[in-house]
Amino acid sequence: MTTDKIPSGSPVTPEENSTPAPGFTSVNRRNFLVTVASGLSVGFFMPGGDRVLGATTVSTQINSYIRIGTDGTITLEFGGCEMGQGSKTGLPMILAEELNVNWNQIVVEQSLANPAVSYITGGSSAVSRNYTPLRTAGATVRELLVAAAMLITKNTTRANYTTAAGVVTYTNPITKAKTTYKYSALAVSAASAAATALLPATIPLTPPAQFKLIGTKAPRIDIPDKVNGKAQYGIDVWFPPAATSQGMVFAAIKHCPTIGGTLAAANFPATPAGAIAVVPCKASDNRGAVVAGTYNAVAVVATDTWTAKNLANQLRINWTLPANTDSVDSAALQTLATSLLTTGTPIIAEPVTTPATPVATIEGQVNTALAASAKTVQAIFNFPYLAHATMEPLNCTVRPTYGGTGGTTLTAIEVWAPTQAAVWVQQTVTAVTGLPAAQIIVHTTLLGGGLGRKIEQDYISQAVQTAVAVKKTVKLTWTREEDFGHDNYRPMAVVQAKAGLDATGKISAWYYRNVSPSILGQRGWIPPGALDSQGSEGATSLAYNLGTYVTEWLPLPSGIPVGFWRSVGNSINTTVIECVIDMLAKAAGQDPFTFRYNNINDARTLAVLKAADTMSVWRKTLPAGHYWGVAVSEAFGTVVAEVVEISNVTATSVTVNRVNCVVDCGQVINPDSVEAQMQGGILHALNSILWGQTTFVKGVAQQLNFRNYRVMRVREMPTITVQIVQSSNPPSGTGEPGVPPLGPALLNAYAAAPTGKRVYSLPLFPGATMGGL
Amino acid sequence: MTLNVNGKNYTVNVPDTSMPLLWVLRDILGLTGTKYGCGIEVCGACTVVIDGQREHSCVYDVGSAAGRTILTVEGTDPNLKLAQTAWVNHQVPQCGYCQSGMLMGTTSAMNAGNTGTDILNEVPHICICGTYQRIKDATATL
Repeated sequence: MTTDKIPSGSPVTPEENSTPAPGFTSVNRRNFLVTVASGLSVGFFMPGGDRVLGATTVSTQINSYIRIGTDGTITLEFGGCEMGQGSKTGLPMILAEELNVNWNQIVVEQSLANPAVSYITGGSSAVSRNYTPLRTAGATVRELLVAAAMLITKNTTRANYTTAAGVVTYTNPITKAKTTYKYSALAVSAASAAATALLPATIPLTPPAQFKLIGTKAPRIDIPDKVNGKAQYGIDVWFPPAATSQGMVFAAIKHCPTIGGTLAAANFPATPAGAIAVVPCKASDNRGAVVAGTYNAVAVVATDTWTAKNLANQLRINWTLPANTDSVDSAALQTLATSLLTTGTPIIAEPVTTPATPVATIEGQVNTALAASAKTVQAIFNFPYLAHATMEPLNCTVRPTYGGTGGTTLTAIEVWAPTQAAVWVQQTVTAVTGLPAAQIIVHTTLLGGGLGRKIEQDYISQAVQTAVAVKKTVKLTWTREEDFGHDNYRPMAVVQAKAGLDATGKISAWYYRNVSPSILGQRGWIPPGALDSQGSEGATSLAYNLGTYVTEWLPLPSGIPVGFWRSVGNSINTTVIECVIDMLAKAAGQDPFTFRYNNINDARTLAVLKAADTMSVWRKTLPAGHYWGVAVSEAFGTVVAEVVEISNVTATSVTVNRVNCVVDCGQVINPDSVEAQMQGGILHALNSILWGQTTFVKGVAQQLNFRNYRVMRVREMPTITVQIVQSSNPPSGTGEPGVPPLGPALLNAYAAAPTGKRVYSLPLFPGATMGGL
Repeated sequence: MTLNVNGKNYTVNVPDTSMPLLWVLRDILGLTGTKYGCGIEVCGACTVVIDGQREHSCVYDVGSAAGRTILTVEGTDPNLKLAQTAWVNHQVPQCGYCQSGMLMGTTSAMNAGNTGTDILNEVPHICICGTYQRIKDATATL
């Protein structure tokens, strides 16, 4: 079993692996140059990872490191984050495969934030992005180790060498005598220029047919510590709160309940009895830059979190409300979005033409095709804002260090954070304090769920502001109410679709307009007038022949912060599209599978759908009162089909009995993780489609805890069967693609029930509540 | 006051005896395996076992815990160990944040003589990752 080390710099083992960096005295930081001297360290390259964030350019950067210690350990520096998706296991599996080492020889270390190593965890991309670079890196190290053996034997014929289980074996071509060399004994020589000179021009990669580890259910390295309390999430960072400079104090945050509310300097609250301090916190943007002069929250610092949050809730704060809260309101925004279905000027997502076809022209062509269709369907769908509801609320621990004359100059900051974006955390610290990156250490802890929320910098900035204000180590924890009430929500959306069929049941016309707040536009990452990929994803490059078609997106102006959420725009667009496809199937008088077979032109999608068809033959012999629905989609390069079976269908409830899931994600690294991610995506979609919504009344979020943010409990969970398509195509994402098809499959089943109906406004059962335990 | 946690006595100074046990464990004793999730006993992440039965430490006054036997996920109870082994064998956790509570609820259920699927009645806790199916598989072996 592989050892998953406690993240270096863990406060409970502060001396482990400690090599102080310049400017630090009490921190725990690996110096890569030192390890080069003691063994072999190979940096490898992979394309930079802003895909999910809509970057227009792809950069190349050193992203992670392999080390072979003379003690026999083989270490992968992991530059992402582990939030339950399993990439901290999947990435080392790829490396171990090409290195020809045993799984139990690998140690994974969480990297400190380092622009050369860390990547943004998002877009279901950890394995797909790292697959070829990691294989190349592993194979390069393997070949360097063989070269080191060649330097000993003086025989440079590669065919005389084999590698396995961390050992190079040399077979003397004349005597046939075998000599073995452990990797650990070769490591120093393998790092030499002489070994590099012996590298082949092209590094051979292991053919997939010969994989021994990739494709097996290797046990997750993070699981043992997740059942015994040792796993350290951000919220678990703890230093004894003794009266020493290293002692910890605890902070709770209180925002203005109204979105966009601020706090004037004249109204800064006094520190109440029992508190150590009250620290007004400046607002920050999504990359951590503070908004000068604008305060939107206060942190209350106390000797424990409970005291801090109680005092924060008791503060009477004179907030300055935004000028017009009537527009920061779910009902008003839905009205506005609906009006933009007909009055706004959209951005054409597809078809892409050069030069661009005017909107009026292409809409005219689609309208003509619709008018000529034998049958048409149309609908307007409404989607709510959604919170992330990560089980671990937002939190961050910050330790400032002071030096200089009188010990009053801030010299360093150390951060422990559950973050999907460690390098951005470093930038946030710089934005708040002015310290350069060299004086900032960021530890990425385990994440108790991320789901896109923990890419943001608001909670980081607040913790830094609070720590430097009180000059102490501060752990800032958001209450569940603050976490739900001040999220960067999955956007709401109003979507209109119209579609036509020809006389043979083929789709002949397709009109699609999505009106939703722009995630990338709101944070200034795309210019005004540009298409937001997050809004149109899942609505373009469809597997269907659409006939004459147009797919449009139009930004909805809204002051409510929006952000990335498991599968983002796919969760909206796939729901609409796969519901409309079922409406078309009904209009054509065809079975939902048959209609899709007749209109899909993508071989991979067809194969996945047929596998789902075959494994779901039970649907043809369901007992009375049971209904089924199907949907299929491609997201993040992965095709997923899901078939849902329901019963007990009423206007206010339904029992979901079973979900069959077929997934084609290319080459599978760890099938157990793929299965887990499909199970997770399905639950995520069930929660959101059945009950999920955050509504706003005059700028105030109405769902602030699980009491009225209903989610599924274990007894309600359907039986899920996951079938993985065998493929040697490059791996594609698995964290998010399980989400999008579940919603429409469920809604299609609900529409098939006489006691159900076709639902156009989500969630299916708004206003659901949860009782206590 | 003195708290008995996982067989060990701790002398703690608390600001108020109405302070929930959750925050005493986490902030004062540094026993962070017990999690804060909702604070209103809806999610179950804070579940501990007191005198053999599951309790929600987010609303359990520390004053009421004195003199009792408190078991957390860091403990060495035989039923907890059985549950932990089943959890690893079935590769249950994803993010893992809710699993302490799930395991303590399971331990409590086993203490009361429950087996198999009956255990699920004692762990109606919230998991967002989607580990429910594997929790069903794991508890079916207990």
